[in-house]
Amino acid sequence: MSTTVQAPATTAASLATSATFRTFATVFAIATPIIYTACEMQNWPLFTYHPGSNRIDLGWAPAVKDEGPAMYWYGWTATTLIGAGILGMLATMLPERMVRSIPLSLVWIVPLAMIPILIYALRFFWRW
Amino acid sequence: MGIIPDFLLDYISVNTYWTILFIAHGLLAVALLGALSHQAMSVLMPVRQVAGSASFVTRFRSVRGAGYATAVCVLWIVTFLFGAWIYTKYRIYVRIPIEQAGYWKTQGVFEMKEHLVTIGLGLLPIYWYFWKNARNPEFDSPRKWLTVTLAAICWYSFLVGHVVNNVRGFGS
Repeated sequence: MSTTVQAPATTAASLATSATFRTFATVFAIATPIIYTACEMQNWPLFTYHPGSNRIDLGWAPAVKDEGPAMYWYGWTATTLIGAGILGMLATMLPERMVRSIPLSLVWIVPLAMIPILIYALRFFWRW
Repeated sequence: MGIIPDFLLDYISVNTYWTILFIAHGLLAVALLGALSHQAMSVLMPVRQVAGSASFVTRFRSVRGAGYATAVCVLWIVTFLFGAWIYTKYRIYVRIPIEQAGYWKTQGVFEMKEHLVTIGLGLLPIYWYFWKNARNPEFDSPRKWLTVTLAAICWYSFLVGHVVNNVRGFGS
């Protein structure tokens, strides 16, 4: 009988060797810039925050007269993280062969590809 | 306006509260910038072997990048949360005067900052995974370019934050 005591693997160590986590993280990284850009351009916030009155409305809501501006960025971020999280979890159910065919370079190419689109989306501000 | 825990206001003024939060956000951003800059240099210009005394640049890029990964993720998330908190104040007391002054491009580059840091947030899990598997040659190229991308986002965000603070920050 061995007297060697094996230390239990930490959560971080097991995540770092997990193929499931790799799949989730890859799809999450690719989906985040795409969903965020779509949310920004189509104005799809999960909720709207009114900083003047500290009120939160579900979905998109216009600014209320005499109550200051409405903020959508928090809502876009929430939509993005939830959407990318769902896609990442769905991807973990795909066959390993299919997941491995996703080029890993997309995790940095897709974010860079979204930059010109986001600059275009902000064209209102590029006034000379 | 903005979210302030009420009990804190028994001890400090509203201005002090936002000042502490803003300075903490800035200091966290400096730490993140330093860590990511070291890491990006270490993948762009890796040090093979140091013969004799190393120069400052060689020492700067000769860090063990993997050791920074978790700290970068934590710093990015905490800096992001602090920034998101300050944003409530910014939206009313900074953005509106900036728009009234007609500094549209300043506002535009700040909007771009908020877009990029959110996208960066989504890249952190795979960034962490790549660095935790730094010995796997399959990840060498995506790890390198992902790290450089995050470093570029961090530098852009830091500089834009600094510029916006100069336009309407402390003392305005």
